[in-house]
Amino acid sequence: MKKVYVLIGNYGSGKTELALNFAFKAAERGDRTELLDLDMVNTYFRLTERGRMTQMKEIRLVSPNFACAGIETLSVPAEVASAFAMDWDTVVFDVGGDAVGATAVARYYQDFMELEPGALEVLNVVNIRRPLAGTVERIIKLQEEMQIHSRLQITGMINNTNLAIATTDAELRDGYEMIREVSERTGVPVLYTSGKKQFLDRFLAEGHDPKYIGTPLAIDTYMQRDWDSWIHSLDQNPSNPRPGNFYRTNMD
Amino acid sequence: MALTLMKGSEAIAEAAIRAGARFFFGYPITPQTEIPEYMSARMPEIGGCFLQAESEVAAINMVYGAAGTGMRVITSSSSPGVSLKQEGISYIAGAQLPCVILNVMRGGPGLGNIQASQGDYFQATKGGGNGDYHLLTYAPSSIQEVVDTMMFAYEKAEKYRIPVLFLLDGIIAQMMEPVEMPEMVEYKPTKEAKPWAAMGWKPGDDPAKRAVINSMYISTEELTDHTNVLQACYREIEKNEVMFENYRTEDAEIVLTAFGTVSRVARSAVDELREEGYKVGLFRPITVWPFPYDELKKAVNQPQVKAVLDIEVNEGQMLEDVNLAVSGARPVEFLGHCGSLFPTTEEVKARILAMLKEGK
Repeated sequence: MKKVYVLIGNYGSGKTELALNFAFKAAERGDRTELLDLDMVNTYFRLTERGRMTQMKEIRLVSPNFACAGIETLSVPAEVASAFAMDWDTVVFDVGGDAVGATAVARYYQDFMELEPGALEVLNVVNIRRPLAGTVERIIKLQEEMQIHSRLQITGMINNTNLAIATTDAELRDGYEMIREVSERTGVPVLYTSGKKQFLDRFLAEGHDPKYIGTPLAIDTYMQRDWDSWIHSLDQNPSNPRPGNFYRTNMD
Repeated sequence: MALTLMKGSEAIAEAAIRAGARFFFGYPITPQTEIPEYMSARMPEIGGCFLQAESEVAAINMVYGAAGTGMRVITSSSSPGVSLKQEGISYIAGAQLPCVILNVMRGGPGLGNIQASQGDYFQATKGGGNGDYHLLTYAPSSIQEVVDTMMFAYEKAEKYRIPVLFLLDGIIAQMMEPVEMPEMVEYKPTKEAKPWAAMGWKPGDDPAKRAVINSMYISTEELTDHTNVLQACYREIEKNEVMFENYRTEDAEIVLTAFGTVSRVARSAVDELREEGYKVGLFRPITVWPFPYDELKKAVNQPQVKAVLDIEVNEGQMLEDVNLAVSGARPVEFLGHCGSLFPTTEEVKARILAMLKEGK
């Protein structure tokens, strides 16, 4: 049966990174896979930039129409219809952040409703280290707004809590605690917990309730940018009490 | 204190709020639209005001009005939008109003493009609007440094009654880094602290104590007196507020100069070449007005220094200040790009190695 994953969530929660991971994993197990870049919000950090990478993995990529490279006027291509019309094993929608970004999928409401029962997973990617998703109330409010704007019911959450290069063991654990409360209050299950393998393994070894972990998903990072390799300017100034050393010791 | 994973725009906006800013006036423009977007969500939560003006010109005049009441006010834009604001900025400087202005630079001239650039250095440091004025201008190189600088920016602005400009670029606004946020400052202006502020006046009050926010002085004498006051203030700022960083310049043979995010590319090149045994250092101005002329001169006049390499994402703007500081004492070379193309660490290293090979 065709599986359709729609990744929505707070701005900067890791949707694009997870969309690539979902698509690559599907392609690796031999699925006929389509990946759709429906991010109409952020033109600086987008999946389509990794277009060549997805071709190497034999994934069909659908990108927005660009008026011109570097210009932010985007439109949704007619090609999105192929996600519904064609015979895929796995379809992954990477959607823009927040309720604003989620609006882009509402246009396909009829198509989503015509999918076989159980084919659609609408996943809310949560990173509680992001400022506007840092409390239970904020996550719930955002979840409700995204549902209204996308016209889709969220079927599950992904705990993708991380601090980029400064991630420690605390991130997934703190994310687990907060997302568990969101799940208890909203009834939306936690379907995945994702992170780099070393953090995920250590988190799993802590023996938390599997009900609020879901399927563990060890991810690779593909969306690194030039600046990720730059030295943090406060890094080596010993007189500066900032968490500078963090940036060095946690690089791996 | 917990770290948060923040996009530059969000961190900058939150830092301004934590520094006491309660009024934001702006107009969207890439690559800084996330600043007003974040402000629109946060200001109502803390009883502040977010207002999307009908244009940049309107926004900067709202800053003029609100800053005149003594409140902490902020506006943000990107290069073409900041150009539109120049008239208002000159008025604010003339009226001696403290406020914070953010320029998230993108490619120019004109509409240019939406990628990061450093093309507004001249505008920021050598004028912009009309008249003899300066803005206290910071050019931080990381999100954390923007946040830390913001926490004292209003105090400086109020101490000298001067607008503070943050000269940033598209990368710093768009990149995500872990950030440590300072505690919230609850700021309330008082008549005692800001006797110049227009906080209300009713009939019966002493007319002599009426606050008038103004940049117009029609008589020659009055305008001369007024500009003398401004100039005296600028000399004080030049004396007290210069900020810079000397990075591994103590024994450097080649001294790099760079500001903002580009300095991080330069810094990476310094570290990598140091590991290979080359003596390279970086001088980074943190305030670009006032420019650290004396400090750069000191770093460059060390006997072992052979040459200076200035690196910018423009066609050589800070280069003029670097040349003023070096004053011909050493050769100054330039590595720059226009069109928003960022230099890479490899490119910088190759240039330094070529300079060393030429015996400079």
